[in-house]
Amino acid sequence: MSAAEDAVERAFWQALEDLKQGAEKPIEDYLRLVPREQRQELAQLLADVLLARGPGPAPDGAESEGYKRALAVVDEVLDARGEAGILPGALKAMRNARGIEPDAVVERLAADFEVEGEEGRQALARNYHRLETGMLLGSKLSRRLLSSLASVFDVDPAELLAAARPAAEGPSLRSVPAMGRSAGPQEPSPSRSSSERLPDPEVELVERLFHGGPEA
Amino acid sequence: MAQFDPIEERAVEMLDDLQLEALRAETVAEDDKRFEFVLWILCLRGVAVVERVCRARGTVQGLSEGEIELAIEDAAARLLLRLSRIEPQPEVHALAAEIAVACVDRPWPTQRRAPQLTPDTPELRLVDEFAEAIESGRIRPNDWESS
Repeated sequence: MSAAEDAVERAFWQALEDLKQGAEKPIEDYLRLVPREQRQELAQLLADVLLARGPGPAPDGAESEGYKRALAVVDEVLDARGEAGILPGALKAMRNARGIEPDAVVERLAADFEVEGEEGRQALARNYHRLETGMLLGSKLSRRLLSSLASVFDVDPAELLAAARPAAEGPSLRSVPAMGRSAGPQEPSPSRSSSERLPDPEVELVERLFHGGPEA
Repeated sequence: MAQFDPIEERAVEMLDDLQLEALRAETVAEDDKRFEFVLWILCLRGVAVVERVCRARGTVQGLSEGEIELAIEDAAARLLLRLSRIEPQPEVHALAAEIAVACVDRPWPTQRRAPQLTPDTPELRLVDEFAEAIESGRIRPNDWESS
């Protein structure tokens, strides 16, 4: 690389750094850093950058509380991306923004899937909480569950389906010991006695919705 | 967040909206780990539009400052959802504006609604029924002498 080309590159990166930090100088200041013959090339590069950035937001808009909060939402949703993609963070963000309590979501799901018993509702509440906290696999969520959630949040079901795709390099599922169980090696479960109660059909339905795969 | 090579990152930042959308569609379809960076850059561009549209439209519609900020947060989350789809999406500024409008236009509990006129011809069913009853003799008009 010639000295002139090197100067163009250095001036270009400096301009980008300044732009990123919001401390850009007049274009002429950067052009002065390179030989006269190279100014046209640098000017073109800088023009491309400025064009790609589009019009800058209004000064009050960029610094407003709303702008910061929106970026915080984007950050939170992306940071929480994992085995259920961005779905957990997005659901939580939309629910908070709309003032919807988790219980209200559970109520709607219970109505949609005709879950009336206490155990079934508890299973719904438990699984919805696990979904929002990123503890479920997106690939195991059923389509009808996602459709019902889409109806609650008034969005296209296809958006929730796409959002639930796991991150390419998502963190592994956190290992959370279930209540009353040891996180250590599992003891063999005792065989069921004939008097033991059969699983609640509503609980089974809820488990299928959250863990049974797209067609469940 | 998965990282591009720094030079590649700057190259992505320099893309215009259409080029960036093309890259988004490609990386999301191929489950490319760099999709997240593309998504972040698109959101940076979209959120500024979301903020402006929500504020302008929310103010006109009489939303409080807090409600406008909630609409902005809602729109930011919905923008992420839309940009996660495999299907091609509109240019990010247009998409952000569309979502922002939808988030402001949803019903708000404290929204002050414009007064509405009543229907042209009120239905006075009760009065009609009284008139019929009087005509048929089922009831009589009130008479102070007999009451």
